[in-house]
Amino acid sequence: MSPELLEIVVWIVKVHVIFLGMVGVAAITTLAERKVSAWMQYRHGPNRVGPQGLLQPLADGVKFIFKESLVPDGANKWMFRFAPALAAAPAMLTVAVIPFGPDVTLFGITTPFSIVDLDIGLMYILAIGGLSVYGVIVGGWASNSKYSLLGGLRASAQMVSYELSMILAILSVVAISGSLDLREVVMQQKTLGEWNILYQPLAFLLFLIAAFAETNRHPFDFAECEPELVSGFHTEYSAMRFALFALGEYCAMIVMSSVAVALWFGGFSVPFLPEAHWALGIVAFCAKVSCFLFLFLWVRWTLPRFRFDQLMNLGWKVMLPIALVNLFITGAVISFAPQLKSLWNGLVNGAS
Amino acid sequence: MVIVRRKELSLRERLYLPEIARGLSITFRKLFEKPITRQYPEEPLPKDEVTRGQPRLVVKDDGNIACVSCGMCEIACPAYAITIDGGETDRPIEREPKKFEIDMLRCILCGFCEEACPKDAIFMSDELELADYSRAALIYDLEKLKRPKSALQKRIDYVYRLNNRWRKSSSTS
Repeated sequence: MSPELLEIVVWIVKVHVIFLGMVGVAAITTLAERKVSAWMQYRHGPNRVGPQGLLQPLADGVKFIFKESLVPDGANKWMFRFAPALAAAPAMLTVAVIPFGPDVTLFGITTPFSIVDLDIGLMYILAIGGLSVYGVIVGGWASNSKYSLLGGLRASAQMVSYELSMILAILSVVAISGSLDLREVVMQQKTLGEWNILYQPLAFLLFLIAAFAETNRHPFDFAECEPELVSGFHTEYSAMRFALFALGEYCAMIVMSSVAVALWFGGFSVPFLPEAHWALGIVAFCAKVSCFLFLFLWVRWTLPRFRFDQLMNLGWKVMLPIALVNLFITGAVISFAPQLKSLWNGLVNGAS
Repeated sequence: MVIVRRKELSLRERLYLPEIARGLSITFRKLFEKPITRQYPEEPLPKDEVTRGQPRLVVKDDGNIACVSCGMCEIACPAYAITIDGGETDRPIEREPKKFEIDMLRCILCGFCEEACPKDAIFMSDELELADYSRAALIYDLEKLKRPKSALQKRIDYVYRLNNRWRKSSSTS
């Protein structure tokens, strides 16, 4: 086989493994969400389909496919049909640059375990991830329902506010690692002491809060606020179109968790084992991402929803200034690092 | 007029995050607690002699029901669920129901029939499940209503105990 052909085959295999893996994990997360919520509320959760309810996502999928997909009378038909795809696609696209593992060697072929290794990976994620709000607002607008429209508008306002703090938080990490390439950032965090969480804890906190808002999760799920907006932007959706919105949300959760893991928690590096086997690296990455996914569920079933004005206050009056100051201090420390070091040395020497 | 005085929040509370962590720790601890919900078909509801299920006719040890089709239960029934057609019989009691139907869709499980019955023929069983494919199938006739005395013994004893508080002589059956 020629090298070019081999490369294409490897690439196709990687796309399938990673993409299908992510959709599978998203499906399992839906089950996990129901299970975790049940356990937190002294219930059993779904346990009828398959052993311990493990096949529930499959049953849900079949149900979604066979349900009637209604289009409301006054809806903008084409936009209405297009919106779910628009909501789900960005999250699925961004997974392409996530470095799920180190270089994988299988059947004599060595290849990095991510679909593409983009040197502007982070920018790609932010750019494409920002598009996901269009799915929500188009869906809300095309439904021709006031609740949906309000949900869509809220989603857009919220995402614009929080994207800003999120980008600033990510920038702080980019500043200290000097790269937009996720794999490069991960490679700089080989040991536990090098994890960025130790150097940028505030940025991590800001990113985490913004990530909850960006993925429309509790306590910031204003776009689909049940008591006020009757599920908001997807009020009018049914069947597989509805499921696509949910799938997009869960994929976005996975991507956000992956970004957090890669930027702050050493990505696929195994703690205490810097030279671990690649399989262990993938396992470490998946374990870290699972912890974050659990955090997403955990927070959802613990906190009540914010009020919309509180959300905006938090975004603009608290998170944005903190993110700016954090970035400013990070930049200052980096640019004055040599001077600071000599000052420190001078102090230490002067004291002794 | 009510003046709602909001509690002044401390700095710790206004920072949100410590309080969020506290909330999270609570839900995390609850994660490992035993579910209190019942897995219904596998774990049936707890039943007691106090359980007032669907009414059933007692089959005495000689194989006959005690009912003499007096119609007391029919009159007592607030939902008009009971229909009785009486007839003659060669047994010493002289009368027995030819038709005894309870419309289970109408029955409200109040237990008035049990109270009204002078012959201790009808008792509330502990059977609670009611499902079928047609309305007609849920109008129970004599055959569907008959239960051996042993199956209802606990309830019978309970009713006797209850009534004996003001009635010394035992029933005729």
